[in-house]
Amino acid sequence: MNLEEAEIRMASHKAQDQGEQILSNDAYIQYAAMIKNAAKHWRRTFCEAGSIWQPVVFLTPATLVLFVFAYWPLLQDVWLSFHLWNMISPAMKFVGLQNYFQLVTSAEFIKIITNTVLYIVVLLLVNFLLPYLLSFMMAHLLKRFSFFYRSALFAPSTVSLAVASILFLWIFNPLAGPLSILLSAVGLESPRWFKEPVLVVIVIGLIIGWKVFGYNLILLLSAMVDVPKELIEAARIENASDWQLFRYIIVPMTSSTALYVFVITIVFGLQYVLVPVNMLTQGGPDQGSTNLVYIVYQYGFVFFQTGKAAAFAILSMVIYALFLMLKTKVLDKKVHYEN
Amino acid sequence: MKISSIRGWHWHVVLCGAVLIQLWPLFFMLSTSFKSMDEIFQSTLNPIPAVPVMNNYLYVLKNFPLVQYIFNTFFIAGIIAASKIITSILAAFAFVYYEFSHKEKLFNALLLTFFIPITVVMVPNYLLLSRLGVLNTPWGVILPQLADAMGIFLIRQAMRAIPRPLIEAGKLENAGAWVMLTRIILPLIKPSVIAMGIVFFINSWNDYFWPLLVLQDKSRYTLPLALQMFISAEGGSEWGIAMAVAVLTSLPPLLLYLSCQRFIIHTFMQSGVKG
Amino acid sequence: MSGIVFEDVSKYYGEITAVKGLSLSVQEGERLILLGPSGCGKTTTLRMVAGLEKITSGILKMGGHVMNMVEPGARNIAMVFQNYALYPHMTVWENITFGLSIRKVPNGEIKARAEKALEILNLSGYEQRKPHELSGGQKQRVALGRSLVKQAPYFLLDEPLSNLDAQLRLQARTELVKIHELYRPTLMYVTHDQIEAMSVGQRIAIMNQGVLQQLDTPDIIYQYPANTFVASFIGAPPMNLLQGRLCDGKLRIAGCDIKPPAEWQNLLASHSELWVGIRPEHCRLSDNSLLRGRVEFTELLGSQRCVHVRLQGDELVLCVFPAEQSAIEGTVGISFSWEHVNSFDSHTGCNIGRPHVR
Repeated sequence: MNLEEAEIRMASHKAQDQGEQILSNDAYIQYAAMIKNAAKHWRRTFCEAGSIWQPVVFLTPATLVLFVFAYWPLLQDVWLSFHLWNMISPAMKFVGLQNYFQLVTSAEFIKIITNTVLYIVVLLLVNFLLPYLLSFMMAHLLKRFSFFYRSALFAPSTVSLAVASILFLWIFNPLAGPLSILLSAVGLESPRWFKEPVLVVIVIGLIIGWKVFGYNLILLLSAMVDVPKELIEAARIENASDWQLFRYIIVPMTSSTALYVFVITIVFGLQYVLVPVNMLTQGGPDQGSTNLVYIVYQYGFVFFQTGKAAAFAILSMVIYALFLMLKTKVLDKKVHYEN
Repeated sequence: MKISSIRGWHWHVVLCGAVLIQLWPLFFMLSTSFKSMDEIFQSTLNPIPAVPVMNNYLYVLKNFPLVQYIFNTFFIAGIIAASKIITSILAAFAFVYYEFSHKEKLFNALLLTFFIPITVVMVPNYLLLSRLGVLNTPWGVILPQLADAMGIFLIRQAMRAIPRPLIEAGKLENAGAWVMLTRIILPLIKPSVIAMGIVFFINSWNDYFWPLLVLQDKSRYTLPLALQMFISAEGGSEWGIAMAVAVLTSLPPLLLYLSCQRFIIHTFMQSGVKG
Repeated sequence: MSGIVFEDVSKYYGEITAVKGLSLSVQEGERLILLGPSGCGKTTTLRMVAGLEKITSGILKMGGHVMNMVEPGARNIAMVFQNYALYPHMTVWENITFGLSIRKVPNGEIKARAEKALEILNLSGYEQRKPHELSGGQKQRVALGRSLVKQAPYFLLDEPLSNLDAQLRLQARTELVKIHELYRPTLMYVTHDQIEAMSVGQRIAIMNQGVLQQLDTPDIIYQYPANTFVASFIGAPPMNLLQGRLCDGKLRIAGCDIKPPAEWQNLLASHSELWVGIRPEHCRLSDNSLLRGRVEFTELLGSQRCVHVRLQGDELVLCVFPAEQSAIEGTVGISFSWEHVNSFDSHTGCNIGRPHVR
């Protein structure tokens, strides 16, 4: 085939050489077609021997698993959320938007939303603000031991949340736990941490905080370390204070990673809450520690109201999607900072 | 000079405080697990048990199928980690090495699954697994976790960091895709692949929620799941035993972390870099 | 039959033109150098031959066959990359034999070829080293060895010496030529170093902004640059380009009227404005001078002395003399012989020609 094309080319060339100034129309059309064809084939050959099957084979396992176990459920949730079902009975009743309607008007909805917001506030304090400040200290205010701090602070992140839950259940035990002993030493009575409405959210937030703190810290630290040393030194020469350094150089230069950590703190933090809540409180006291994520489990596997569980799942997905979109939008605007 | 060193001290105090808060619970867990029941309540705050005892560990070993739990956890975590690594390598290789239409779109679609919350997949996946008849088996835990979006992303990053001429030199040698992957690319990214395998292993070792949904028979429990049996909502009194199981559950991940922390931290650090 | 022919080949990256309308042919067994400033398209050209870049339009033939759609591995090409592209996880021996083992060459043959290559390249004894245990020059030779064992009819080199220090480069240059003489593959060699190009190349293709400027032997390129770009790019210190204006049969350069010899008159007649190019080493000090100017400063370049002379029209002329000549100061007269003069059209920049060459 190559030879054939080459021959056409040669023929048209010869015609030119023999004094025909303009290519004959025919030859020109053939020539143009050939070039076009060549480009097409070329594209295919560059993709490895013209085989589209190779990448398909390589991609299939991961794509199959992720689509079947992540995207397909999303669609199924939408479908389930329009139905009334108890997960076991063969009868499934289509009820339209009723699940959503009941969910928004129920009394517990306000509680769930306030709890969720409270969780988010605690998580952001412990897992975003604190590691942000500490990573700045470690990267730019200290000269030594940074590696030690990093390793030590990260260690709890390798421990299971189940372990963390049981550990803190003992630490926060109001009768004999170590914290209650410390409190009584200064004359205070330990509250019943896991039985008080707002307190329980804060304590569970702290458990998540203990586990996730180190991970978020090193994410932020990697962004802090990437800030060029010359910028810091230039600011030091201008006699900038630590605060000014942080505010005018570090914050803008690390904004995209910070935003990412901000979003995962919320998105994953709320999911981590599942473990301690299920192990320690089962959503109690009086739904005081439940949230938008745990409620899906409750409706799905405790109350067996699959339709409502699906409706809550969709609601949580919508809220997460909003956060992710916010992140992408802000990132698009801010990219120039870090480039 | 003096002022700056004082200012340094200031920050060191803050960080040492943070380290104390982070490490004390782990240390407390370890010391409690070696205390006798009396000592747990009488000298709760004592960092080092006056008379270290193995009673808690012996009790658990005798009365619970602990070895079975360890094996269950190891089996599930091992298969999940191996499978995630393999599927991620294959997919990442396809994204790096081939040109095909909608490549970026597919990549983004796969990456987005990282952010799909467990709430969304919980009910439908449970139904799917029950239809497949794998509920209450390790395969029910393993099946949904055979691939990982973050793994694809990170291995693609590692592959992209390989200097292009190395790949091109292979192409000039007429190396096929498989030769290219196994003899050129994989040896070059071996450290990141190993680190990522360890991270996957730790994560599924620690996993609590999905095993909770799938596994019902106590004999099939994983360690984090088994932990639940040692507490009651009112705060049971068997703290020494609970702490012993907690220590056993945390030991493998912590040891893995201690033995190659530089690798692991580096891998985690990369996961925040959005490409 | 292992020549390489480009027919009107272009390469675009979106809006950016890397190579434009390139037509050139490389003879079988010849050493052709692609020379030009960075970003001129020379590396892109080489990579198109290797099949590592797609060709946007035009035809590339190798050994008489159209190669546009042939994949890199099927082109039977050996290539040395700028940073050598040695596999860091393989030993020297593995690096050299990797390609052959993929191609399923029999083991005995692989061994024989690799040993021969190691011997030629003076690498015997280093077989089990890893690349990071080698010096820069050794790495470069391993890269060369990897290409040698293939015994491919085409040999491509992308700035293979740019990572070596100056002394090593000189040595590697001659070695390279010797090795080429041994097998005589068709060799294309990319460099931005004109001295390297002159010493290695049998012919040189000079490129600028994706366009081929001149393709010829080093001699002719030096003596007869096709245009002002080539004239100023080749030669160090570069050729003097002086603005000239022709009126009444006299050439006016920097305030001096010069009468060109009779044979030049016809040639110049059609150009009222032009660039006159004179190589610094062709300038002579003379009382019977054509140009006059004041010496601004003098540089010693080892064996030569380079004198910067400011002419009346504020133009600068470089003159090169043997270093032994005593220092030159004050106002001087400069003359040159017309047989060394190149003149270029002031609009197109093209060489007008020389009466005795054409």
